[in-house]
Amino acid sequence: MSTDASYGALLDAVRGVHWPARRAVVSAVAGTHHSKQRGTSAEFTEYRLYRQGDDPRRIDWRLLARSDRAYIRLATDRATLPTTIVVDSSPSMAFPMVTREKWRRAQEIAVGLAAVAHADGDPVGVALASDDGGIRIVPPRTRRGVVGEIARVIDATDPDSAGELGALVRATRTKRIVVITDMLGDDDLLIAAKVHIAGGGEVHLVHVVAKEEIDPPRRTLLAADPERPALQRLLIDSTRREYDEAFARWRADLARDWRSAGASYTEVVTDEPTAHAVRRIAEPPAYGAPRP
Amino acid sequence: MSWLIPTALAVAGVGALATIALHFIARSRPVAEPLPTARFIPDRAIHARTRSVALTDILLMLLRLAAVVLLGLAVAGPLFASGGKISRIVLADRSRAVANVVAVRDSARAYLRQGDQLIAFDSIASLARTTTIDSIVATRARGSLSAAISSATRGGVRGAPTADSIELVLISPLAEEEADAATVKLRAAWPGRIHLVHVAASETIAHPARVELRAGQNDAVAAGLSLLPSLSASVRVVRGKTTPDDSLWARNGNVLVHWPATDVDADWAHRASIDAIGGVTTARATLVGRFPRPWALTGRVVARWADGEPAAVESVVGAGCIRDVGILVDESSDLTLRESFRSMAYELLAPCEGRRAITPLDAASVASLAGTGPLASSTSLRDRGTETSRWSPWLLVAAALALIAELSVRRASSRFA
Repeated sequence: MSTDASYGALLDAVRGVHWPARRAVVSAVAGTHHSKQRGTSAEFTEYRLYRQGDDPRRIDWRLLARSDRAYIRLATDRATLPTTIVVDSSPSMAFPMVTREKWRRAQEIAVGLAAVAHADGDPVGVALASDDGGIRIVPPRTRRGVVGEIARVIDATDPDSAGELGALVRATRTKRIVVITDMLGDDDLLIAAKVHIAGGGEVHLVHVVAKEEIDPPRRTLLAADPERPALQRLLIDSTRREYDEAFARWRADLARDWRSAGASYTEVVTDEPTAHAVRRIAEPPAYGAPRP
Repeated sequence: MSWLIPTALAVAGVGALATIALHFIARSRPVAEPLPTARFIPDRAIHARTRSVALTDILLMLLRLAAVVLLGLAVAGPLFASGGKISRIVLADRSRAVANVVAVRDSARAYLRQGDQLIAFDSIASLARTTTIDSIVATRARGSLSAAISSATRGGVRGAPTADSIELVLISPLAEEEADAATVKLRAAWPGRIHLVHVAASETIAHPARVELRAGQNDAVAAGLSLLPSLSASVRVVRGKTTPDDSLWARNGNVLVHWPATDVDADWAHRASIDAIGGVTTARATLVGRFPRPWALTGRVVARWADGEPAAVESVVGAGCIRDVGILVDESSDLTLRESFRSMAYELLAPCEGRRAITPLDAASVASLAGTGPLASSTSLRDRGTETSRWSPWLLVAAALALIAELSVRRASSRFA
């Protein structure tokens, strides 16, 4: 199935969404994000006294004529932000077994974010663990068909790998990393994210949660962890409340820990429209607005 | 209604109870279903019982019960009654014991109805078409009640699925020669009474048989023949040369057996080479010994040597016959005292052309043959090994549908949300 056919509605819905960098970026390639460099673009920022070594052509001659002081005109540069989307393809993503709603939602979010980043002129790629234990990476590119390529790679992947997301993050060299995962079984992911953030990078965590995980069927259920089949627990009325509390507490702790580490944390439940989720992830909330 | 394998019903019942028991036992440990967040459920004992019964569980149990019961019913094979129908098997005797086969045909015609079976018999029995009663003709073969009853039993097995009771009608003169050692046992195997229809016998000897023996003293054959039971014809046995008076006696409708004691007591043609052979046989008896063969006999063969050459022949003379027996018996042997010799001698001294006097069965045998009690029940005649129930395939289909429905419900119930 072509990208347009399977993701067409989503791509239409996210058209016009921008995904600004969370901080000024350092990049030599002109783009749409604020750059830490000051250059000579048409967008004026400030004046600075001429110093030896500056290019004389940047001196504002009119100001020199009026004030008899040599100033150079500074302008904010715009730069690109290479983005890699890391997708968790572990067996726990294939839930529920019949619909695989979590995996489907992760695929859609990845393609939606890739389209948004690509529309902003940013190089975008994807990295995920392949079925054979290796890593499949589409390097960040700005060329025209990269979103379709990302969609094809994701569609061709089955959620049954045992690859570690932490290793994927460490192997990624781009400044902006988006990790789409259910956070079940990725203990060292936060450490890898902290290292990346400390290096000046930007990390977005998209936590995909199935609505059946928040509200499991209200009947006797012997639940088995798909990644650890030996782990079987009985979910009945007496244990349901403790499950609800523990699961909510874990999600709250996750959000706090990741945000404390400087990352962006967004929880996406599978019953939320994907375009809405993409918009929440890409566009930062206004100051003082409640966090998603 | 009856069942081909009634025990299958009991097995199905046990299976149904086991299904119910297993259903409730299994519910104490539910089937594991994947839930990635299972780690957040507190670790408790898994053997907790549920307090509520889901509707899908009851539906699953009912579907499983239906499948087990339908499977049991299919294996048991229901057979439904035919509305009290009585099928009739008519045994028509066409053997030599029957005086007038037309009487047999008329009797058969009177008893046969639509759907009944007609079996004509002499020494063998064969199924005949009820519409071709006139094709029953008399034969010269000896009748066999054993063959008739055996064939009737097979016919009863064939007709059992379409009837509730089988009535067996035997149209026969009921001659003694038609009964043998197997008749009593075969009659006992028929599970009901037999309706006997007497027809006239072809011939009945009221007088005891008479045997004249002309032999020398210490004649071994004469000693053996003296041990014979009553014979069915007037027989003269000549161990020496025959005389014109003997021929005249034969012409008067008697049996003259010329059985020379030595090779000089007969003027028959000699063989090209005289040899000896190890046995001689008749239709019903075989004698083993060393016998010289001096003569080459011609005529209607009564006995043959082991290699097939005639050992005794018969020729018709007037109303009687002369039987030449070329079997030389060693005078010093005890051969003639053996049972096999008596059996063979009984054949050699038989009436002309193999005819036998027809002696009717005694009253006790006839009563035993008729039997008492009800007609044969079709249930006792059914062949459980080959009979099938036409309902079994439909029941199997229903069981398969129940299993498919059970699978669908199970999959649907295991699917979250």
